[in-house]
Parts: sequence; C-alpha cells; structure tokens
Amino acid sequence: MELFLAEKGIYFLTLLLLGVGLAGIIVCSNYMKKLICMNIMQVAVIFFFLCLGQKAGGTIPVAMDSMINAADYINPLPHGLMLTAIVVSLGTTGVGLALLYRIKDRYGSIEEKDIIEREREKK
Amino acid sequence: MQILSLEAILLISLIVIALVIIFVDDLMTAVVVYCAFSFITMFLYIVMGAPDVAFTEAVIGVLSTIFFIMILRSIKRKTK
Amino acid sequence: MRKVFSVIVICVALIVPFAMFEVMPQIGDPNSAPNSHVSVHYIENTQSIANSPNMVTSVIVDFRAFDTLLETTVMFLAGVCVMIILAGVYKTKKRVIDPGESKMLRVRSGEKVFRSINKDVIITLLQPMILVYAVYVLFHGEVSLGGGFQAGALIGTVLLLDAMAVPDKRNFPNITKGTSAMIAGIGTFIYATAGILTLIGGGLFLEYEKFPWNVPLLEQHSIGILMVEIGVTLGVAGTIVTIMNVLLEKVKFDK
Repeated sequence: MELFLAEKGIYFLTLLLLGVGLAGIIVCSNYMKKLICMNIMQVAVIFFFLCLGQKAGGTIPVAMDSMINAADYINPLPHGLMLTAIVVSLGTTGVGLALLYRIKDRYGSIEEKDIIEREREKK
Repeated sequence: MQILSLEAILLISLIVIALVIIFVDDLMTAVVVYCAFSFITMFLYIVMGAPDVAFTEAVIGVLSTIFFIMILRSIKRKTK
Repeated sequence: MRKVFSVIVICVALIVPFAMFEVMPQIGDPNSAPNSHVSVHYIENTQSIANSPNMVTSVIVDFRAFDTLLETTVMFLAGVCVMIILAGVYKTKKRVIDPGESKMLRVRSGEKVFRSINKDVIITLLQPMILVYAVYVLFHGEVSLGGGFQAGALIGTVLLLDAMAVPDKRNFPNITKGTSAMIAGIGTFIYATAGILTLIGGGLFLEYEKFPWNVPLLEQHSIGILMVEIGVTLGVAGTIVTIMNVLLEKVKFDK
C-alpha cells in the first residue's frame, strides 16, 4: 500500500487535481469561477514540486547543531522556489480581478454567453 | 511512512472541494469554499514538512479570499 | 459538446502520464536525483557560508538572490498593472451605503438585527499584535521560520483589516494608491541597491562578502540578508495595499 502510494498514488492524485482544475476552466462559463479554478491548478503544480523534495526520515529545514548530515533534512530548494510562486499568485489574482471588473464595466455581465451575444449584435 | 496515507486523504478531500467549486451555483459559496480549500492546502504543506510554505499559504489564502469578496459586491452572485 | 470535449481532454491527460510514472523518482527516496546534487551543498553550507540556520531563507535571499530580485519586480509590476487597468473607469459615487441593504432587508422580514461590537473592538486589539508579529518575523527570519515575504503579507493584512472592517473609521493613516505604489518601488530599489553596493566593493552582483564596509565575513552575509528582506517586505506590503486601494475605489459597501 505504502509502496504503491510512493511510486504512483500521490502522483496520480496530484494529476487528478490538475485535471479537475483544467476541467473547471473549460466547463464553467463564469469568468470568476475560471479565476478560482486557475488557482486550484496552481496548487496542484506547487504540490508536485514539493513532492520531489520529500525525504524519508528527514526533519524540517532549520539547521540544528547536533545534526550536520544532508540526509537529516528535507530538501529546501523546492520550498524556496514555491514560496515566491505563491506570493506572485496573489499579484496575478489581483490583475485578473482588475480585468474582470473592466469586462463587467464594458459588457454588463461576466457570463461568457452574454458577452458573445453582445459581440454578435454589434456586427 | 504513514505520512503518505495522510497526504492521500488530504488530496482526496481537496479534489472533492474542487468539484464543489465547479458545480455550485452561488458565487459567494464558491469563494468561501475556496477559502476552505486553501486552509486544507495549508495542512497538506505542514504534513509534507514545509512550514515556511504553509505560513505563506495561510496568509495569502486569506488575502486572496478578501480580494474575491471585494469584487463580488459589484457583480451578480448567481451563475447561469 | 463542450463538456464531452473537456472530459476527453482530461482523460487523455490522465492516461498518458500514468504509463510514464516509472521515470519519476519514488517519493521519500533520499538518493533520488532532486535530493542529491545541488541541494546537498545548500544544506551543508547554510551555517558556514550564509550564517542563517533557516535553510529556506538562505536559499531565497542568499544562494538564489537574483531570482528573488526579479520576483519582487514582478510583484511591483502587478500592482502598477492593476492601477493602470482600472485608471480610466469612472468612480463609484458613494462608497458607503447607509443604511445597510442587508440590515434593512432583515428589519422588513422581522428578524433580529445584531449590531456587533466585536468588529470594532477586536480589530483594534488585534492589529498591534499582528504588526509586532510581522516585525518579529522580519528580523528573526534567518534564525526561525518566516522571512520577508511573510512579513510583507502580514503588514498588508493589517492595513486591509483596517480598511475593510469598519470603512468610515480608520485606526491607521490612509495611504493613497500613488503612495503605496511608491513604497513598493522603494522596496525593489533597496533590493537592487544591495546588489550595486557589492559591485562597488569589487564583487559580483549580490555577492555579500564584498560589501564596502569593514566587518567580519559572516556578519556581512547577515547585513545583506537583512537589507534584502526589508526590501522584499516593503515591496510585497506596498503591492497588497495598492491592489486593495484600487479595488476599494470601485466597490460599494454596506455600513
């Protein structure tokens, strides 16, 4: 059971989460839900990177004087890379919400069908 | 290695919450459920041994939920 | 049609990598490729080179500081982008609606109306504690958990609580969107200044041993990490306050 999880199971569940986020972006016609689903996809990607840094028998990456071997600590490199990615995701969410407000101001709705109808009426 | 079983349980609950976000009608419900999503994500990061990332996710999850709710005051809550 | 298409896409995207899982390393293996090359150098030298026991901080702002410079610039640019995108839209005339719509609805339907005192009192108590914790996280970030990004997000949270909880009564001075964008720019500039100072001292960009002042080697690393983290804090906090101010101009609130 544990061996199956370590070799395939966790990767498969992460991939499933990514797939659910992608399906949400395709299926939902509301732009705000698309933004939320984009954040879900991003969590899946961050989790995948953190998976690669896990170590059996390692502690959190804060150095103590009694332990000096590299095998005692979890790999800190993916943590550092993903921490900045999470913070930058706040900036991208802000830009997305600003564009959302702009679309609402221009078309009066954030449903995809309404916007396509308005565009057809103009032509 | 019981950690992997715990991770699998948390991941399955994340997938269920993501399905709820996709199929719910009310946008306010979707945003609040997204807050729960980021909360469980924080637990997942703690279990994996990344407390720095979990700390950041806890603060940023709250902030992005507040941004969503701010915009929600000026658009319709119901989806088609 | 659309849902069928999406399900087909997702199924293909799930099945194709499932056959390829053999090339991925086993989770938790200490000898796998991601755990064995450069990260061993980071873990073993974090105290002797970077003088910071927290390895995540030393990876972010010492070993890979050039990455983080550009990440901070991305945050600053996101704030400026939000300001530019919403610059031309007309202002909502009254931001605070009085009396509250939801409150009047509840009065008409005969429910009890709770006027909570928690919001006013608890926020005032909570704000100084979060601020003290933010400063602690900033200056203690290289020894324990935390760092510049978390401290900036906490300071942003305090100002956000101040503006959102009770919109017409503020505990902190009101920062306009121009000022907050300027603060974010100053933070990015402090970060770049640390790099330019090492260039003046004769080293590479962001090589902390070559600061022009004369102190022991490990202390120079500590000074460099602190300078960079202050810059990151100002950048993140300024960006959050900018996005909040710009969105707050457009949105209506009940009292």
